[in-house]
Amino acid sequence: MSAALDRMLGALADPKRRRAIELLGVRPRSAGELAADLGLAPPAMSRHLRALKEGGLVKDGHPDFDARVRIYSLKDGATAELKQWLAETEALWAHQLGAFKAHVEDGE
Amino acid sequence: MSAAVIVALRVAVSPEEAFTAFTRDIGRWWTSHPLFQLSRGGDGALRFDPAGPGGRLVTRFDDGKEWEIGAVYHWLPGERLSFGWRLPSFKPDQATEVDVRFEAVGDETRVTVEHRGWDAVPQKHVARHGFELMLFQRRLGEHWRGLLKGMEAGL
Repeated sequence: MSAALDRMLGALADPKRRRAIELLGVRPRSAGELAADLGLAPPAMSRHLRALKEGGLVKDGHPDFDARVRIYSLKDGATAELKQWLAETEALWAHQLGAFKAHVEDGE
Repeated sequence: MSAAVIVALRVAVSPEEAFTAFTRDIGRWWTSHPLFQLSRGGDGALRFDPAGPGGRLVTRFDDGKEWEIGAVYHWLPGERLSFGWRLPSFKPDQATEVDVRFEAVGDETRVTVEHRGWDAVPQKHVARHGFELMLFQRRLGEHWRGLLKGMEAGL
């Protein structure tokens, strides 16, 4: 597994951060909004958002109408690596179990 | 429970026979596949060594080098087999886990493989609950449900 996947899983190791990902999956939000939703003080929220950004899961930007506001959203393809691991692992076992079935039922 | 890859199928033998064939014959039925081989040199010859509780799953590559894939955690003949799963490409602190269950279905056996990859989270002390709530897993959940539905035809 790669360092990127490692960082991602590290970012996801905290329940508040997982909840933040869920909320951002519904729609983009500001840090203040997220902090209120999660019942966190702004400094704690900043730390969590930094971990999520470093984990490659979340990106931030400014809405067109207001450069002072920072809006956080889920990064496209953030979980692509994880999905790839899942898909490959599934393919591996589907393949091996098929081979196992053939072996067992050949009555060897 | 954390989310995992789950693959199942049914074999036309008893749970005891399936367990014995799975463990004793793994070197015979396991087949290397170019798309997802265990190492660049293929999969080698797998074996449980020693067979039984407290053993290990080991593979011997064509060049004679041995690699311990993982330790056996559960060895319950006819019921359950679980073992660690680490490939040469993994970092030392990264481990995944494979859990194989054998359940009688009439005079056949359903073999279910569950491969949990979430245990690679570096913070080992962190409780790993709540993953199933996550967005990408909701998306994946659709996928698994479809997968298992498709399998039910064969189960």
